[in-house]
Amino acid sequence: MSTRRGLWTAWVLPPLTVLIVLLFWEAVTRAGVVSPLQFPRMSDTLVALWHEFGSSRLWGAVGATLLGWAIGMAITVVLGVAVGTALAVNPFALRSAAPVIEIFKAIPAIAILPLVILVAGATLPMKVFLICFAAFWPFVIQVIYGVQSMDQVVLDTSRALGVRGIRRFLSVSIPSASPYLVTGMRIASAQALILAVVAEIVGGAEGIGRNILLAENSGTSAYPTMYAYILVAGLLGIVLTGAFFLMERRLMHWHESQRNIRASNRAVGA
Amino acid sequence: MSRLTTSAVRVSRPSSAIRLKGIGRVLTPLWLPVLLLVAWWALSARSTSPFFPPLPDILVETWNQWVVFGAWTNAVSSVQNLLIGYVAGVLIGVIGGSLLWRLRLLRTATNPIIYFLYVLPAPALLPAMIAIFGIGDMRKIALIALGAIWPTLLNTLDGMRGIDAVKFDTARALRLGGWRRYFSLVLPGAAPQIAAGMRASLTVGIILVVVSEMVASNSGIGYFILQAQAEFAIKKMWTGILVLAILGTVLNYLFMFAERLVLRWYYRSRALHGA
Repeated sequence: MSTRRGLWTAWVLPPLTVLIVLLFWEAVTRAGVVSPLQFPRMSDTLVALWHEFGSSRLWGAVGATLLGWAIGMAITVVLGVAVGTALAVNPFALRSAAPVIEIFKAIPAIAILPLVILVAGATLPMKVFLICFAAFWPFVIQVIYGVQSMDQVVLDTSRALGVRGIRRFLSVSIPSASPYLVTGMRIASAQALILAVVAEIVGGAEGIGRNILLAENSGTSAYPTMYAYILVAGLLGIVLTGAFFLMERRLMHWHESQRNIRASNRAVGA
Repeated sequence: MSRLTTSAVRVSRPSSAIRLKGIGRVLTPLWLPVLLLVAWWALSARSTSPFFPPLPDILVETWNQWVVFGAWTNAVSSVQNLLIGYVAGVLIGVIGGSLLWRLRLLRTATNPIIYFLYVLPAPALLPAMIAIFGIGDMRKIALIALGAIWPTLLNTLDGMRGIDAVKFDTARALRLGGWRRYFSLVLPGAAPQIAAGMRASLTVGIILVVVSEMVASNSGIGYFILQAQAEFAIKKMWTGILVLAILGTVLNYLFMFAERLVLRWYYRSRALHGA
């Protein structure tokens, strides 16, 4: 295939599809195939989105969702790296803790949502706790994988050079495990965002999820606003997940595990 | 392998691991869960906090609520919706992923749409599903299916694209073509990653079934838990949490068991290569 055609498909086709889908949406709702009581018009939704972009309501909600996500992620990463590393270097501790991690990972975080709402109310701590509970277990497993995958030669070299303790942790363990850490963070981030939205829809905490439900509850005239917020939730997902993809590529380009991944990653970005 | 979306804790280490013998080998993975249960039992035994009733009371109440008073119908409704939605979502995911693998232009074209739907936090779609399908079971199933499609679809596509080119050359030499190539090379080759995607879909599905029951619903475990919370019947709420936790754990272990069974050849060959 010639490069020109490759460029054309890579840069023109995707935006074109988005345009076609948007036009199809408009056509279907305009022709009355789908009742406006169920699905608003694309143009109305984009107008609502534009309107919301100019209001403090949207930015307040985005800020609240992001704040919960960020605090939850920070706690998850710090705790996860500490616990995961400690477990990975001690076979007895790992064998003991593995079933507990498996069981807690299998418990859906949403199960404890009503309890957390009772104890903490519709607040930021409630959201953060749920996010941590959902994101911690899959992340800690990736940390364990990462530390275990360390090259024996690297370990021996660092031992021969007398690097140990906290220095070994920071300059050997963390860099070697970093591809797993970043992958773990991407998985944790997706979980965190889902749970943030759940905490807002079911728990009533401030954020995008609550605004979606509020718009749904205030009748069909607010449906364009509801879909506008759903679009915002998706855009937020794109920004956050995209940020971790870039990190995986930019930060980790030196790591050997990335060399093959990059080649297979190009088209889907999954 | 770092791109698999979920994974289980890998315990055995070929070298350096302490070889625990006999009883120790069996007991090591057991003592911590047992200790935690005993600690819960002991610490909650004389609890007067309204939020954390004693564990024995919760267990008795669980028997009463779920067996005697017949709340098990809620669990049946949840599992039923979950299974229908999940199977539909996974089927669409595998078929869609295969189509995208086969049709390169379609893959490039739909990339932004699929990516958008993949990263969109699925619970955000619940109000839209209520608006479209009303408040019956249909919108629960639709939401679960819609959330379950994307992890499976992307992992299917990824797994198929990751198959060694040499294998396709071999297939060509053996004159394997069309559907036979698909079923005897492409699908098995991508199976480990499809399974990883299906596991991620199951996690999303469990969240979605409960979320859909917690908003504008009158059946299911999620409804039961939230109803108990609204009545401030804390013990009753705990029984729902317990049932949901057990259900989630059992479903996950069932999945892992089925995965081991179906992918037996894969795990065996990986063990042979010492990976």
